[in-house]
Amino acid sequence: MGPLFPNNLISGEWNLLIALFIGMAFGFLLEASGFSSARNIAGAFYGYNFVVVRVFFTAVIVSMVGLLYLGYFGWLNLSQIFILPTYLPSMITGAVIMGVGMIIGGFCPGTSLTAVVIGKIDALFFAIGLYLGILLFAEGYPFLEKFYHAGYLGHITLTELTGIKAGWWAFGFTVIALAAFWVTAIIEKKVRKRIKEYKF
Amino acid sequence: MNRNYYILTAIMFFLALGTLFIHERKVPPEISPGELLWDVLQPTRFVSTDEVAKRLIEKDPSLLLVDVRPASEYNKFTLPNAVNVPIDSLLTPAGQSYFGNPGMKVVLFSNDAILANQAWVLLKRMDFKNNYVMKGGLNEWMKTIIQPKMPPQTAPETAFERYDFRKAAHLYFTGAGIAKAGKSASKMKVVFKKRKKAVVAAGGC
Amino acid sequence: METLPKQKKNKTKYINPYLGGVLMGIVMLISIFISGRELGISGAIRDSVVATANVISPTAAKKSSYYGKFLKNGHHPMDNWLDYEVLGAILGGLLSGILFKRVRKPFVERGPNVSRGRRLTAALIGGILFGFGTRLGRGCTSGAALSGASTFAFGGVLVMFILFGAAFAVAYFFRKLWI
Repeated sequence: MGPLFPNNLISGEWNLLIALFIGMAFGFLLEASGFSSARNIAGAFYGYNFVVVRVFFTAVIVSMVGLLYLGYFGWLNLSQIFILPTYLPSMITGAVIMGVGMIIGGFCPGTSLTAVVIGKIDALFFAIGLYLGILLFAEGYPFLEKFYHAGYLGHITLTELTGIKAGWWAFGFTVIALAAFWVTAIIEKKVRKRIKEYKF
Repeated sequence: MNRNYYILTAIMFFLALGTLFIHERKVPPEISPGELLWDVLQPTRFVSTDEVAKRLIEKDPSLLLVDVRPASEYNKFTLPNAVNVPIDSLLTPAGQSYFGNPGMKVVLFSNDAILANQAWVLLKRMDFKNNYVMKGGLNEWMKTIIQPKMPPQTAPETAFERYDFRKAAHLYFTGAGIAKAGKSASKMKVVFKKRKKAVVAAGGC
Repeated sequence: METLPKQKKNKTKYINPYLGGVLMGIVMLISIFISGRELGISGAIRDSVVATANVISPTAAKKSSYYGKFLKNGHHPMDNWLDYEVLGAILGGLLSGILFKRVRKPFVERGPNVSRGRRLTAALIGGILFGFGTRLGRGCTSGAALSGASTFAFGGVLVMFILFGAAFAVAYFFRKLWI
């Protein structure tokens, strides 16, 4: 039966209203989990706060596993959901740039917006930077167009790329994530002993 | 606190383990209503009786004629080499095995075009490709191929060329013995052509 | 001193990260179930850039090879699923901030060894880099990495690992900003 909107089971207006509510839940969870603090986010890369790793990977594995079950129970037609297209060179470059941007700025787009509304000026500067960065890209697009579209692999999933069943990917990711949760908890404990002035 | 984490870890682990044992449900392919409407409005699905006759005479191997009328009518009269898939057996695996085979063009026909059109829409909904409808059905076939009418003197030259072709086709299809042999051969061919298309019929897991 | 005012003044606690993660995963599943797609943020900022360009010079924007792509269908560029979702995210963040009493007078959060000016400059530069990267990467941490990876998209997993890997690889050089 699902997804509802692509199958015309709900109308466009409802879909937009639902988008608003889904966004609200997402923003609420981002803020409530502590993503509205750049120090919390950057902490994952210095070992003193792994909240990002926990929330992010829990969400990924819950969604991965849940998706397979939804498909199995016949509630969701997995062939109709949106799969991110893959453009190898530009996505690798983009991800590297984003990674560097994240460690310098301390936010990612979603978290910066939720931080702006609770009054963080650094997040506001980050958000302005996002706007400028995208403007820069848009203005430079004629020069980047070729690179932007290079190496197109289509809307490809891990299963289509490797031939390994989606269940194995979900299981593998879950095991890695669960292991990571335990390991990072130990690291965090050790690192926090050395940091005095940051209250958690 | 710590014990809760052990429990949560175990739950998540077993849930993920479970995904290894479930199979992805194969949803039978179908097209959206919008696409269907667009295709229904296109006249390109129709082929003329002349075209069908020409292909038959040329013994085009990629042509498959499908008679969607009930079996009783099929047994009385049908086109050479046509197979019978009554419209009510269109959803059975045996009926579906004729459609969607790569390289084959399927032409549906009935007495008029209505039944064949209905069958075409059904097949389209199931996302089978390369299906056509014989325009006017068997009535048109009778009018044009079996009893061709001479065009009026004022008609353009192409009409006369068509008339000549139809007369030749008329001889081909009504010629004593030939048609009979062709027909009985066709019934044997039916069995031969029947290829199982496993994926389509196998729904669920 | 207002180095770490928030943590010292009011002890607002964050929710358990695993609970947050599970709920976020469920929100994504609901989103997929209803709309067939998952979350994203950076696309909406792109739409706001497009909208601005369209206001400043509609003809030039339509001609532009980049803006033109998003102005084709005659819709207002800010009128799509993603933009409503991001508007919701902002409201949701505000709601959580109010509920957990984290909304306060504007201030700059920064590491112990960094001045306010440097923190703001770094945030701006980081934002510019991140914004530029989102367009090449077809989405940000939420759109490409989180949503992409959780739908088993190869591109999503790729972005996720490279993004975090790159951040980890260069973290040492920017440690002054944070610790």
